Amino acid sequence: MIKKLNKLFSSVRLTIFLFLFLAVTSILGTIIQQGLPVERYKALYSSGVFSVLKFFDIFDMYHSWWFLFLLVLLSINITVCTSRQIPRIIKLIFPEKKEVDDSVFRSSQIRKTFQSQKKLSDIERQSEMLIKSLVGNPVKIKKEDGTCYFFAEKGKYSRLGMIFVHISILLILSGGLIGTIWGFNGQMNIVEGNRSDTAILFGGKGTEKLGFDVSCDDFTVEFYKTGMPKEYKTDLTIIDDEKKAASGTIRVNHPFFYKGLKFCQATYGIAGVSDFKIVAKNSLTGGETVLKLNMMKKVPLPESNSSFAIARFVPDHGGMGPAVLGVLLEPGKAHDIFWILKNDRNINQQQRGGFTFTLKDFTKLYYTGIQVSKDPGVPLVWIGFCLIIMGFILSLFFAHKRIWLRISGSQDKNEISIAASVSKNRKPFEEKLEEYSRTAFYGFTVE
Amino acid sequence: MNDTFLISIVTFTYFSAAVAFLASIIFRKKSVDKLALIITAAGLTLQTSAIIMRWIHSYKLGIGHAPLSNFYESLVFFSWSIIFVYLIMRRRYRNSLVGTLSAFFAFLILSYASLSGNVNCTIQPLIPALQSNWLISHVISSFLAYACFTIAFGTSILYLFKIKAKVNIVDLLPDATFLDEVTYKMISIGFVLLTLGIITGAAWADRAWGRYWGWDPKETWSLITWLIYGAFLHARLARGWRGIKMSLVSIIGFIAVIFTYLGVNYILSGLHSYL
Repeated sequence: MIKKLNKLFSSVRLTIFLFLFLAVTSILGTIIQQGLPVERYKALYSSGVFSVLKFFDIFDMYHSWWFLFLLVLLSINITVCTSRQIPRIIKLIFPEKKEVDDSVFRSSQIRKTFQSQKKLSDIERQSEMLIKSLVGNPVKIKKEDGTCYFFAEKGKYSRLGMIFVHISILLILSGGLIGTIWGFNGQMNIVEGNRSDTAILFGGKGTEKLGFDVSCDDFTVEFYKTGMPKEYKTDLTIIDDEKKAASGTIRVNHPFFYKGLKFCQATYGIAGVSDFKIVAKNSLTGGETVLKLNMMKKVPLPESNSSFAIARFVPDHGGMGPAVLGVLLEPGKAHDIFWILKNDRNINQQQRGGFTFTLKDFTKLYYTGIQVSKDPGVPLVWIGFCLIIMGFILSLFFAHKRIWLRISGSQDKNEISIAASVSKNRKPFEEKLEEYSRTAFYGFTVE
Repeated sequence: MNDTFLISIVTFTYFSAAVAFLASIIFRKKSVDKLALIITAAGLTLQTSAIIMRWIHSYKLGIGHAPLSNFYESLVFFSWSIIFVYLIMRRRYRNSLVGTLSAFFAFLILSYASLSGNVNCTIQPLIPALQSNWLISHVISSFLAYACFTIAFGTSILYLFKIKAKVNIVDLLPDATFLDEVTYKMISIGFVLLTLGIITGAAWADRAWGRYWGWDPKETWSLITWLIYGAFLHARLARGWRGIKMSLVSIIGFIAVIFTYLGVNYILSGLHSYL
């Protein structure tokens, strides 16, 4: 049983299967919107389909039991495969015996043999130069029987690249798991001048008490000429234990940190409007009066018995910009209700009860949408990211090259055997070896 | 002279380069290949100047930002990346047919960018979420990855054609093992660049949205793409898969790339609504 499991988890077939299976199932969660309230799904699907989808947690599938199970399988798979590779890699980086083994000249990927009648010292000099130009400074070993060996290697640490990459995937996955278990992610909407200590978690997962208050001291938004928001920011203060503990400004892409929590500027909106200024122009005298009023508060109109109030505000009235719903109260008459637009639109306003009304100004009260998150897994993920880049650099830009050279033979005839191995890009290396050795051993017999 | 006009010249230049590369194959002339290379390099130089011009122009408009922020700009940079990757890989894998493919893909993308009605080529100001130092590194690594995958897609199609088609033209195609090798090399480099693109995107998302990963459709599709190409590399390196099977995986991977780039924005909804 254990043997079978070991065999399963050490197979790259499992890795390929898991990769493709994860890829295919992940598509589902991009088609079915995730984390909506349950009622929305109930309305979308028939009860049979709904219960199947519910069983497989499709509405929050990336945190479902089976998705987690697949990731655990992948982690075990990576752990087993990588730990199996480690001894081999260590052996390659730190070989046990320094003694040259003649078997490399029979078993290496790349082999070559030359023969020459030149002086031994000349051959040695040329061999050394060849190795130096191909790989690096060689180590020279002379045996008692007169056989001479050269060995050089370069980039042995590039072998660590793949190990780094696989360990980093494990780090990132465990960081993600830690974040899912001990972290949270939610939003708090705070109206200017107000404070809150509760975040509403995403995906309908309830609320989270922060243990301190976040106060929105000020919110400002700037717009481009096109009406697109250019920048919005919140000045906030942290009130911990009824004392001012910290304060700062958050903008989009510029978060604020307190007690391991991260506060990001996410959205904003209009919470309310107040301090309306409405110009009432007397149609007979032409005199203008600025009425200062708030929602549902009656004010008397000048030189008349009537009074006026506003009942509603809309940010955009049928594409004509902000407008208020005005109510004209004339004694002995029914209420007259009508829309009043902002004056910069040059739209003719109707005359009502002897006045023409124009909306001049009002104060917007914003709320700021702050995303609050805590994720103790983030450091692990960052370490994983750095390690994966290091691993890729090691294995992409460096190769492990080794070359052995043996000069053996009698007084009048020497044999030069070359063996080499490279961890990648074998073809260009072989071509280079061919070219260099042909120049170095010019005139030698190639066997 | 404005940058969009320069881009239309570049479009034409890449088309000529594609034709010249094709001619060098048909007439088996090395000198024509050289000429095609010069045309391609000229196109890339011109395109680079157009991109820089647009960058400077945006500062003159008072909304200065790198021209990598809307659909039009991303298409221009995508075609730039394809040619850039081709010129680099050509040093080791010199082949006129890969040149034809690259120049032709770049031409297609640029013609779509200039001619299609739903691509707005005006310089727009940056919304707050895009005002980040991560923008440049994220976009560059992602599009260089897309470019590598595009070339791999081209060589995979050629490979299948070479193996399966029973026509005489096949003789003009490069060696099947050469095509297989180029597909593999392009995918392994693309994979590293895609990883870099996902990492820079995660770092950015962490600052902008408070989390490095949120299973947003764009994020998920980039992961799907990563998984497909990851499976490709494991199958090849550890299991020794070659040939037709690998070409098919490469083609499926490229479909995922296109979906990550376009499909998510046009079909699915999410935070990444600005490409």
